Amino acid sequence: MKKVTVDPITRLEGHGKIEIFVDDDNKVQNVYFQIPELRGFERFCVGRPVEELARITPRICGVCPEAHHMAATKAIDQVFGVEVAPAGRKLRELLYNTFYVTDHTTHFYILAGPDFIMGPESDPAARNILGVIGKVGMETAGAMIKLRAEAAEVISMIGGKQIHPVCGLPGGVSQAITAEQRDRIVEVTAAQVEFAKFTLKLFDDVVLGNSAYVDLIKSDMFTHETYYMGMVDENNKVNFYDGKIRVVGPDGVEHEKFDGKDYLAHIAEHVEPYSYLVYPYLKSVGWKGFTDGKDSGVYRASPLSRLNAADGMATPLAQAEYERFYSTLGGKPVHATLATHWARLVELLYAAERAHELATDPEIIDPNVRNIPTRIVGEGVGVVEAPRGTLYHHYKTDDKGIVTNVNLIVGTTNNNAAISMSLKKAAEGLLTGGNEIREGQLNMIEMAFRAYDPCFGCATHTLPGDMPLEVTVKREATRDVVASVKRNM
Amino acid sequence: MTLGGTLVLGMGNPILSDDGVGLLVAGRLRESPLPDHVEVMQSEVGGLRLLELVRGFTRVIIIDALRSPAESGRHPGEVYRYEAKDFKGGHRYGSAHSIGLDTCLEIGHKLGYDMPAEVTVFAIEAEDVETFGEELSPPVAAAAERVFALVREEVGAA
Repeated sequence: MKKVTVDPITRLEGHGKIEIFVDDDNKVQNVYFQIPELRGFERFCVGRPVEELARITPRICGVCPEAHHMAATKAIDQVFGVEVAPAGRKLRELLYNTFYVTDHTTHFYILAGPDFIMGPESDPAARNILGVIGKVGMETAGAMIKLRAEAAEVISMIGGKQIHPVCGLPGGVSQAITAEQRDRIVEVTAAQVEFAKFTLKLFDDVVLGNSAYVDLIKSDMFTHETYYMGMVDENNKVNFYDGKIRVVGPDGVEHEKFDGKDYLAHIAEHVEPYSYLVYPYLKSVGWKGFTDGKDSGVYRASPLSRLNAADGMATPLAQAEYERFYSTLGGKPVHATLATHWARLVELLYAAERAHELATDPEIIDPNVRNIPTRIVGEGVGVVEAPRGTLYHHYKTDDKGIVTNVNLIVGTTNNNAAISMSLKKAAEGLLTGGNEIREGQLNMIEMAFRAYDPCFGCATHTLPGDMPLEVTVKREATRDVVASVKRNM
Repeated sequence: MTLGGTLVLGMGNPILSDDGVGLLVAGRLRESPLPDHVEVMQSEVGGLRLLELVRGFTRVIIIDALRSPAESGRHPGEVYRYEAKDFKGGHRYGSAHSIGLDTCLEIGHKLGYDMPAEVTVFAIEAEDVETFGEELSPPVAAAAERVFALVREEVGAA
């Protein structure tokens, strides 16, 4: 048997390693996906005042610090048994949706864009953000950079700091915004709605307008029929900040719906000896291995999952796009992994609309942004939808609020089993044996992976995205390198 | 912002052991007397966010931890001085950098931003960037002293 290693994966937040074992005929035998481990997080947290976790956990990762800050703050609300002041809650949700706008935009243009705008088998030297800029034009690129800068401005206005927000306190946020600040946020979020609409139009033209891409999205090698998890509001509409966790089956029917605090009754973790990262699965279905279908507890938590798990979007433009999404792709649920890119843009539009809605809510400038806690309950589970999947922060403290126990399930971890399955299926579909393995094929295998926008900042250390890639094919018995492909080296 | 001046940018993650070295050195530099044209910042993220930080400066000096592959034969605490061009496709561990430094600079140029003409990186070979902690390993702590002096010399403060 020969071994193909894709290491490290390009254009990803984090250092992952894909190993593809092929036989002498280049037919796929097995695929392993591994990441290195970060050590000692719980030990680092234990013994600290629980309020500090809202400032420590965002530092696990520079990609989605806002998600960790929100989940931590919500867990801390519960540790102190305090209700959140309405204006404080709205400011948190406004900040969070603004963060979504910037995160989803970045993913589309920088991480997904190269594959679709340049083409999955295009010259790797141009298959990157610079190539995308060349293709979409300076005006669009400038608008994207401006959007990011303005979103950062809003986040620092509410969050106190641009990079790692510090606003979340038990019972609310640290400061109110002024009417002038609100006016600026209204202006920025209105522009974001327009940019989201523009980006969906671009997706329409570039991806949906190209039948080869549509066929690729719908193809069996990029499809898995799994359970889907996502947070929903009281009307079963997608919500990123708060709500219940809803899980639908491969048939699209609601399987279970639960409060975040009960997650341990619904999610269990499978362990494999070759990976530090656990494989969460639905307890009610059970672990049946790396397989899909109704009898396998493997679930996905991603933009596509959130759309599948909900009955719709809570804002009008996103709802219209949601309907178009399902009517184009043949109804609910959609199992096509690559449709996650479109789902992400539907969410982008929702996030921009929701942020704008909150910014124009009269209560958003209410100075009463915090209820002061008066007691310590000692345990809390904070759940938000991180861009890459449902994020659980579970803390326990002693009667003084000092941390005794920390457990996190991070966005990407939810999808660990599904990512492994998607890689294997794509590899099997692309490496059909016999022929020489091309760089473009390996890139398309990575596309199965990139659809999840996996981010291992939470579970591992991170690397610059535009990193060198070395693909080696080794003969299993002798470990001799029989072929290798290098790029960015 | 001291437009046209020099930016000293410490990068890293303050809770991942040696990865905090760039932030620590920048913090110390900020407390020390420096010429008027020098501004010191700390950043825990890179990638596109870096673009906004560096634009407008004539010169940027970055301080960060580096983890080279085992076969490089490098040792923790060694200090390497790079120019931006050396990072083309180079191996490098920092905190969440969604895109590399060279790509970031090139995007800035393409967008017509006023980008620094000169980018220097002081990279400190780390021992451990995978354990949560706020302490530097002894060789990296010693290197922090050397880099502090090197950067001061570089900006004409020594």
